[in-house]
Amino acid sequence: MAEHHEQHGLTYKTYFVTWVWLLVLTALALGLGYTNINEKLKAFLLVCTTLAKILVIAAVFMHLRYERINLILITFAPLILAVILFSFTFPETLGTVTHLIRVR
Amino acid sequence: MDSSIAEQQRILASDWGGGKSPFGTSWSKFMMWVFIISDALTFAAFLIAYGFMRSISPEWPKQTQVFNMVLITFMTFVLISSSAVMAMAVAAARASKPKLAVRFLALTIVGGLIFLGAQAFEWSHLIEEGARLTHNPWGVPQFSATFFVITGFHGFHVFSGVTILAIVALRAAMGKYSADGIENAGLYWHFVDVVWVFVFAFYYLL
Repeated sequence: MAEHHEQHGLTYKTYFVTWVWLLVLTALALGLGYTNINEKLKAFLLVCTTLAKILVIAAVFMHLRYERINLILITFAPLILAVILFSFTFPETLGTVTHLIRVR
Repeated sequence: MDSSIAEQQRILASDWGGGKSPFGTSWSKFMMWVFIISDALTFAAFLIAYGFMRSISPEWPKQTQVFNMVLITFMTFVLISSSAVMAMAVAAARASKPKLAVRFLALTIVGGLIFLGAQAFEWSHLIEEGARLTHNPWGVPQFSATFFVITGFHGFHVFSGVTILAIVALRAAMGKYSADGIENAGLYWHFVDVVWVFVFAFYYLL
């Protein structure tokens, strides 16, 4: 696989620029955390910045953009399953709360 | 007859014909990816469970009043920076510069240790204030339960990562290094960073 990696053209500069972008996205998320906007909109925007950050880390730092499409696709499995888990559990809570769990 | 022989040859020549990786990676890198994907499922379950508990809770403590957000932001900065340095360590190893790779690895380890130290400080602070798995002074028991489970599980991953990186760095310093090995350890380290990105956004900021 060595030849494959030398073709990357990923230099220290690429990693440095990626690092700066990640810090910008972190600052953006931090700013969102402190703004007084609608909770649902805030959650949506935070999901967006988080997804942007993990895509950058996966594509550049984890070299995923240089992998084959089948490997890239299987890495999406946890995200898809998280969406399924979310959609199975959250309808119960999005309406009026009819039952509360007390841990004690 | 001819067509079936041609068909057989076509299959043998394809990626799934045997003798080569259909994913175009070494077996060790593929196994690391499989591990990362399964580990990501664990954290996905934790975070969804946290989201569920939070949405059924009539109230939730304000994070800014409980946590030292300057410290949390500093921890995030350290982890992202260590991830960038780790990527540089892989690049140095690929370019056959083991000494430079060991230096980058050492920096990554220092980043991991600073993160762990900051987390130990945060935990001890909260425990001192009375936060436990079952109850806490801020009223919602699920608040500290999810906090200790999620950050504890993540912190253990950071600790494991630091251990793995220390072994890889020592071996590289002894000359027993392989760029593939450093890259696989790096994949794990970046994954730990990815998990923190989620925890930071959904536990501390939302």
